[in-house]
Amino acid sequence: MVGLAYDLLANPQGAVRSTFEKAVASSGLDFDPASLDGKDWGALDLFRQFLFDQTHLSQVPILNGETIKWVQPNTLVRFRGMIQDMLGNEFYVGAFKDGDVWRTNKFMDVSHFPMPMASTSSPHMRVWERRLLYCVPVPGRNSWTEPSSELVVNRCVDCTSQQREKRRRMDDEPVDHMDMLVSDEGFQGSPSTKKMKEDGHPSVSSQTTEPINEGICSHMSMVPSIDSDSLPCLVKIYDSPESDLKLNDVFEFIGVLTFDSEVSMDKDDQDELSNGFSEDVLVHLPPNKVPRLHCLIHRKLTVPDFLHSSPIMELKPHVVKEIREALLRHLTAVLGDDSVAAHFMLLHLLSRVHTRVENIAVGKLSLNLTGFSKESVSLFGHRLSLAVKDLLPVTHCIPLTVEFLNSASLAPIKDYETNRLITGVLQLAEGSHLIVDETQLKAGTLNSVGVDNTRLLKNLMELQKVEYDFKYYKMEMAADVQLLIISEGKSNILPADIVIPFQPTSVDSSEVVAAEALEAWRWYLATVKSLPHSIESEMQKVVENDLVEARQSDRSIGSQDFNRWLTMGRLMSVSFGENCLSLEHWQMVKELERLRRERLK
Amino acid sequence: MASDSSPANFNGPTSPDDSYSSPIGNTFSSPGDARRRSRRRSSTPSAFATPPPNQSRFATSDANPALTPTPSSRRGGRRGGRRATSTTPVNAAATPTSTDDAPASSEGGEGYDADDARPTFVWGTNISVEDVNEAIYRFLKHFRDSSTASQSEDGLLREGKYEIAIKRVIEIEGESLDVNARDVFDYDPDLYTKMVRYPLEVLAIFDIVLMNMVGRINPLFEKHIQTRIFNLKSSTSMRNLNPSDVERMVSLKGMIIRSSSIIPEIREAIFRCLVCGYYSDPVVINRGQITEPKICLKEECQARDSMTLVHNRCRFTDKQIVRLQETPDEIPEGGTPHTVSLLMHDKLVDTGKPGDRVEVTGIYRAMTVRVGPAQRTVKSLFKTYIDCLHIKKTDKSRMLAEDPMDVDNPTGRNVEDISFDEEKVEQLKELSKLPDIYDRLTRSLAPNIWELDDVKKGLLCQLFGGNALKLASGASFRGDINILLVGDPGTSKSQLLQYIHKLSPRGIYTSGRGSSAVGLTAYVAKDPETGETVLESGALVLSDRGICCIDEFDKMSDNARSMLHEVMEQQTVSIAKAGIIASLNARTSVLACANPSGSRYNPRLSVIDNIHLPPTLLSRFDLIYLLLDKADEQTDRRLAKHIVALHFENPESLEQDVLDLSTLTTYVSYARKHIHPQLSDEAAEELTQGYVELRRRGNFPGSSKKVITATPRQIESLIRLSEALARIRFSEWVEKSDVMEAFRLLEVAMQQSATDHSTGTIDMDLITTGVSASERMRRENVLSAIRSIIMEKMQLGGPSMRLLELLEELKKQSPGPEVHLHDLRNAVSTLASEGFVSLHGDTLKRV
Repeated sequence: MVGLAYDLLANPQGAVRSTFEKAVASSGLDFDPASLDGKDWGALDLFRQFLFDQTHLSQVPILNGETIKWVQPNTLVRFRGMIQDMLGNEFYVGAFKDGDVWRTNKFMDVSHFPMPMASTSSPHMRVWERRLLYCVPVPGRNSWTEPSSELVVNRCVDCTSQQREKRRRMDDEPVDHMDMLVSDEGFQGSPSTKKMKEDGHPSVSSQTTEPINEGICSHMSMVPSIDSDSLPCLVKIYDSPESDLKLNDVFEFIGVLTFDSEVSMDKDDQDELSNGFSEDVLVHLPPNKVPRLHCLIHRKLTVPDFLHSSPIMELKPHVVKEIREALLRHLTAVLGDDSVAAHFMLLHLLSRVHTRVENIAVGKLSLNLTGFSKESVSLFGHRLSLAVKDLLPVTHCIPLTVEFLNSASLAPIKDYETNRLITGVLQLAEGSHLIVDETQLKAGTLNSVGVDNTRLLKNLMELQKVEYDFKYYKMEMAADVQLLIISEGKSNILPADIVIPFQPTSVDSSEVVAAEALEAWRWYLATVKSLPHSIESEMQKVVENDLVEARQSDRSIGSQDFNRWLTMGRLMSVSFGENCLSLEHWQMVKELERLRRERLK
Repeated sequence: MASDSSPANFNGPTSPDDSYSSPIGNTFSSPGDARRRSRRRSSTPSAFATPPPNQSRFATSDANPALTPTPSSRRGGRRGGRRATSTTPVNAAATPTSTDDAPASSEGGEGYDADDARPTFVWGTNISVEDVNEAIYRFLKHFRDSSTASQSEDGLLREGKYEIAIKRVIEIEGESLDVNARDVFDYDPDLYTKMVRYPLEVLAIFDIVLMNMVGRINPLFEKHIQTRIFNLKSSTSMRNLNPSDVERMVSLKGMIIRSSSIIPEIREAIFRCLVCGYYSDPVVINRGQITEPKICLKEECQARDSMTLVHNRCRFTDKQIVRLQETPDEIPEGGTPHTVSLLMHDKLVDTGKPGDRVEVTGIYRAMTVRVGPAQRTVKSLFKTYIDCLHIKKTDKSRMLAEDPMDVDNPTGRNVEDISFDEEKVEQLKELSKLPDIYDRLTRSLAPNIWELDDVKKGLLCQLFGGNALKLASGASFRGDINILLVGDPGTSKSQLLQYIHKLSPRGIYTSGRGSSAVGLTAYVAKDPETGETVLESGALVLSDRGICCIDEFDKMSDNARSMLHEVMEQQTVSIAKAGIIASLNARTSVLACANPSGSRYNPRLSVIDNIHLPPTLLSRFDLIYLLLDKADEQTDRRLAKHIVALHFENPESLEQDVLDLSTLTTYVSYARKHIHPQLSDEAAEELTQGYVELRRRGNFPGSSKKVITATPRQIESLIRLSEALARIRFSEWVEKSDVMEAFRLLEVAMQQSATDHSTGTIDMDLITTGVSASERMRRENVLSAIRSIIMEKMQLGGPSMRLLELLEELKKQSPGPEVHLHDLRNAVSTLASEGFVSLHGDTLKRV
């Protein structure tokens, strides 16, 4: 019965049910549903095997603003996104007894079988829980990270037609799938889905805009309608430890897409009780705007996952060195032949927070390029941001002006009216790159919001933490953002780890970068960045002596400078693909630092 | 059974419908539901022959004992069963005689089960209703506080704690009886377990037993009293609520973030016939709905569809939905706070406002979600909420509970608030036995501030504090330790201050520049409406029993600073203005920090001149720390090592043996509350000797007023410090080692080891290089050389001489080591202080 009796792509719920039935059958008459509390009964193994071992993963359509138009409900989809908010847990009837047969509701919204009115304590019913996560596409993701979807589209149109066919076929199998049929009909009976289906199909061919039920969306103006880039998704997570999924993590969720008419009905429910509880968050997330995804498998995404052809290159020293040289040349060209700045830029692009000790985020390396004028910023600033965009998957740019500071909501704020976390500019995924353009900042008065915002930026810079505003208290969330500041003079609002005057010598650039080179650089940055690193005890002695000496000769050198040098040392040797700090690299760091200090004078 | 004819009760025990009108069975109704019903019945005398003592009759009125719940009623059955079972045994014993004879029936209460051979069980469990009934009765009747019982010898004759409580409730006509769950546990752990596991059933029985008792004490008492359980043994974290907690009693801590407006919920409706004006019997809410009678019940009328609701004769109760959110400390890294809805009824409505931190005891419930208002079909989802039984406000926003710091007043207001877990206490005691506990605590204090170990030790002493002493004669000695930090900019003074402020109870943080005298002490204001004068407390009064942190102490106006004289020694603030003469307690430790007078420490000036604060005030600080930025290779090396390790090693291996913040605070709180060390003879001896030595040093021949000399205040400081040090070890005795450490702290603080006692200046070179004896020798040489030159070259009252000339002369005479101008200056100023020469700018004159 298991095997591939069901098409896992088109009818995943069928597979879930059949494995459940099998599990029930295998335990015989004295089946105790409690034994399945918070556990998987083999359904996930089936999917895992199907997707990863048999590499069917690429056939699963990725859910986004485009694909949502033609993807069928109750099919298998993937969604790549950042966890923006956690909506708590939801209790549902996990298993119940329909007559003499146990049924399950796992991985679905609405029961496919008539359910008895029941209290939670009934022995004929097990209540299970699932977590609700509100996910959005990773903010600031660059277009090159999008997988080319042509292939998938074709296949999926294909498989939806298969599914339809299958349904028809199933109608002819009265015995085995009777209940399935019933439920399908019941499902189609609900108005919004029906409409969805009717609208949905033509839209595949004609490529019209949203297949959205107009009547509902008119009085749901609170939520902006889906534009194709930012399709949020409500992901329901089953049986996974809380620590697995954290706020702002980027995940790929593979699961069952469902549409369900529940909320639109609830809206009209004017009885006194629902008024009291109407703060229920789901009301504000109509299913036609926010698709539901019952997650079967989730996996954390890292930068290499965004690379297309993930070139399986080994970390051979000479290969790494070659790429490093090429990338450095490219950066130097972008920065108008300023090779010192390019060196710092490279280290900056490789930085990440690798440890947190007390209040120190070890490994961050924010960079402040000073000496920009109005003219040079339009040229180099623009070029720089393009270059960064091409190299890193997630990038942002903030033009720092008084108006921006006074009006922007940088920190996420909890809205207790809707019980939602309203996102802010600084709710960023791990490893995001942020360019702050300070050249546009003019004299002006900051209001309280502005003061708050500058403080937030400063905290992000110094501690790599963002304070989320929960109204009654603030909560600090750890972040890992690479910050690049472009300013005229040294930025005092945002004290960066490295301040270096930018001294371009040539203006012409416009070198054409080959696509393969870009790919290689992306791969290089992503791979090298995550290398582990250590230090030999001899080298440690050398470094220590150097530090002490430096401090003895100049009392103004403090722990901050030490931190900076060591971070640079680490990044320098990592940039050569090495795991251990060598004397040579340490000398390079000292030399770089000397050059920088010279410029500062 | 007359009551069987009562319409509401007609199908009570068996029908599933009943579950919706039973006390807590119904998600739409309040826990007070059934009780109201019983009261209602009393108001319809037609059904009964017996007059008012209705509550006891409530017991007798129900179904007959043989009527056990039918298992066929699947969903409602359980609750129906509860109703039936809970009432049957009462029925068996409390025969209609239960009207007036309170003492007699109390006997009868104990004999309940004797009559009933067949035990009745709560449906679906093996809990015998009789047992529970009896257990509750015994508990309410006989429970006595262990502490109070032991106090009175005739403990047996005294009434139980809850008997007294019940009487009090009756007296004040209260509506609820608070029952401490810990009492239940102490008396009968089994009952406690049942109560937590099956709260719906057990609480209903609780109420019945309670009303029986009330009925016996005062048969005429009409009001219904509810049982409110609080203080469960263990409280759940909101995050860990899961399906297995449904229908159990739980206790949660959290913060109220939203409360709905008050919703009037109809309980009983009365209808009037529009045709004949007949008023119907009250109709009770059923499944959240009131069914309107179709026909007039009056026999003569019987008009159809004529009944209309009479609003002002209906009964409503208040209902409120409140949202509770996790407190920040319970949220794991990378999570957002969870929330849960609370359902509050009657008296509980509006007990908490948004922003309050509360501890809630209630029953976790799940409610099916209907697809639509009119549809019966339910979705597979549940909405969960907590039916609130009891709510207690807690204010734990500051890490240290405030009350543990109440040293004098251990029997304070919220005694149960501050009781330390035995387990925790054991753990703390274990900690205190560690040989390196002093160092460990020092390390744990502001671990992110590098070095400054001795300063941290001083601050630690301040946190622990000495013993306040009040003599019979009325004289009192403060136990609070005041600390002043003076130092160069950038020596993390402010961070230390902020840290202590966060850690300490009732810490107030002010900045000297922004504080006025009244802002610190108290001010008198006129109420704009009544014209009455009122006292408003300032920072010092507000931080009573805490630590008042004052930043930028040197920038404070003299006027404001003078206010501190009284506070720091007498620990009171006296007010005499606008017709108010008052003395307010300000038992606060002061932690102040200041920059040296010239913003950087000037090693050429004496300590006193550098600090530039009136000596009267200075002497009130137990410890004055000079934080000087000094170049020390040893320190640098440690810093370098630390940072290298930070970058290249596993964070785990970096983990020092530090206590986390909460352990640290409980440790401090426990010590302050429970440890009151006394001086041992040995320690006293050491103190006397040390003090004499200190005095002697201060009276060094030739010493000027520029040295801080030891005064009796110092000895008090030393005692306080030693007491605090003993407290750190959880020791009841101050040992000799404590005293020695106290002396050391005092010395280190002023860097006295490096102070030149003849000039009062700190020998900076001494601190930085550690070279001292030879240096001092060299200086002496220079000094004597200059002295001889001056004796030789200058006449008394003769022409003045420039310093540079003097330097030339000096170089000529002593060709040995190079003499610098500043050495010369030092020497000359010493001579000047001796009155040998006078120095004006760059010229000096012999006098």
